[in-house]
Amino acid sequence: MKLLSLMKKEFHRFFHDPRLIVTMLLPGILIFLLYTFIGEIAYSDEPHEFKVYLSGESAVVGVIEQGLRENGDKVEWLPLEDEEEARAAIEEGEATAILTFTENFDLLGEGARAGIVYDDGSEDGIYFYSFVSSVLIGVGMRFPIDVETVKEDAAVGTEFLSALLPMLIVCFIFSACMSVTLESVAGEKERGTLATILVTSAKRRDIALGKILPLSCISMIGAASSFLGVALSMPKLMGVSLGALGGYSVWSYLLVLLLMISIVPCIVALISTVSALSRSVKEASGYVSVLMILFMVLSLVTNFVPSMGGPAYAIPVLGAVVAMQKILAGGLAVWGSCLAVGMNLLFTALLVFVMTRLFSSERIMFGK
Amino acid sequence: MEEIVRAEGLKKTFTLSKKQQKIERTGETRRVAVNGLSFSAYRGEIYGLLGPNGAGKTTTLRMLSTLIKPDEGDAFLAGHSVVKEPEKVRDVIGFMTSELKLEGFFTPDYLFDFFGAMHGVGKDVLAIRKKELFARFGIDKFAEVQVKNLSTGMLQKVSLVISIVHDPEVIIFDEPTNGLDVLTAKVVTDFLLELKAMGKSILLSTHIFSLVEKICDRVGIIIDGKLAAEGTLGEIAKGDLEKTFFEIYHSVKGEIL
Repeated sequence: MKLLSLMKKEFHRFFHDPRLIVTMLLPGILIFLLYTFIGEIAYSDEPHEFKVYLSGESAVVGVIEQGLRENGDKVEWLPLEDEEEARAAIEEGEATAILTFTENFDLLGEGARAGIVYDDGSEDGIYFYSFVSSVLIGVGMRFPIDVETVKEDAAVGTEFLSALLPMLIVCFIFSACMSVTLESVAGEKERGTLATILVTSAKRRDIALGKILPLSCISMIGAASSFLGVALSMPKLMGVSLGALGGYSVWSYLLVLLLMISIVPCIVALISTVSALSRSVKEASGYVSVLMILFMVLSLVTNFVPSMGGPAYAIPVLGAVVAMQKILAGGLAVWGSCLAVGMNLLFTALLVFVMTRLFSSERIMFGK
Repeated sequence: MEEIVRAEGLKKTFTLSKKQQKIERTGETRRVAVNGLSFSAYRGEIYGLLGPNGAGKTTTLRMLSTLIKPDEGDAFLAGHSVVKEPEKVRDVIGFMTSELKLEGFFTPDYLFDFFGAMHGVGKDVLAIRKKELFARFGIDKFAEVQVKNLSTGMLQKVSLVISIVHDPEVIIFDEPTNGLDVLTAKVVTDFLLELKAMGKSILLSTHIFSLVEKICDRVGIIIDGKLAAEGTLGEIAKGDLEKTFFEIYHSVKGEIL
């Protein structure tokens, strides 16, 4: 009953303040507008004409050709006779890519591989690569494509999805959690309104949960807004079709969603704990900004350290990032995801306990 | 007379930070704020803890309201121990201090309901109390105005009314008129007298002699965390509280002010 009242108060505070609602939804809208604008500048809407060297046969070739034709693009298939010559042609801008399929590719059996070589410095190259990768995922290919670029820069496309999207998701969730949690916990402590609640007979655990549960729900709205902003602007920004997202299975989506949901209370609890320990919103936001940068860096690092496997799933938040990276790269990582979700929930429960202790501590709550 | 508040050998020691040591130019790392304090207040009376700044009044009231724990000793409010039953104590007391604030975004109406729920008051009882208290203290016209938009006097009234939302047996008030203008101070003293008329027991701390003389039935003089004198005004002061206070202060501290 008291917990319910505490939760209602947080929801009332948020949903009756248009300023807070706008603050929560604005990042998503701005991200969409900004990324779309950048994409508009970077990519033209002119139809593309591709020259692609082809090695091996697959029904996928027909799907690619048809898809491109529907987009108003043209593709000319050239037989791959001399790979060195073909690579030189791509580098010179005379051809778009080399596409290779192993003999048994359409059977998707052992050893079935697809490969692509393209120029990631060329707009046509990036467009073609993202289109092909989205088609391959769409037809049910569940292993990585052998990607090579004629230059040494990293490839973009589905690799962008698997490498950067989890990091962006963590970043958006962190930002959304920060904007409501700092104000609600550190702000209330600074203003003395939290102490007024502490004088009532409400249990300290209920007060801690009465913050974390509703703030998590509210933060999810903000995180969803930012995520939608990125997802909707991606076709323009990266030349990546949303079809690439549509190629994942329902299970993949559910797992990613579950991982995202499990991250939110974890981060809210972490920010709440830091806020309870701080004397002011300013002090708390300083500490939380450092934590956010740390999580962002670690989220990126995990993608480039191949040995980050099993043990990484057990690290709160980071485990979920690793699991999302695996899923977006075409894997499923069910057990890893379950472990990551479990660890996130365990970590949240631990932080609720810590917050309960902090709310009971006179030095923390009433110390000068 | 029925005892409603009983403090038994309350002791509280704080650690001084390096910064505090520097400000106070002292080498001591520990400071005894309250040192074996014992006193009793009776049902239906206004009891005043009188003492200079730093005497331990606020620390004592914080221990009684369960915001901080005593290092030694215990206190009983309406029969509940502050050490063993802090949640039950919080349900029988209303605590007011300038450090406790109301969220400016909400209205008095919302906050009354919220704090009522925090104390486990039923909706029907809450509605009756709200109607009665809001009308009695003139809050009804401002019930839907956000707290941040209320005048200082009205805000003080709202804070006072919300502190007694659960009809507590004991009202604890730390420095009730400190820092208030004369009009708001009058609102507070009138409120306390009203509460007394309603049969409530009130425990307050102050360093203002006139406030004690005006509203307190009994007074406890606290110096250096210890009770130096206790009794009715007639028993302690014999006419001049201020003069008596400084005589006691001199006899305890050995300092001439």
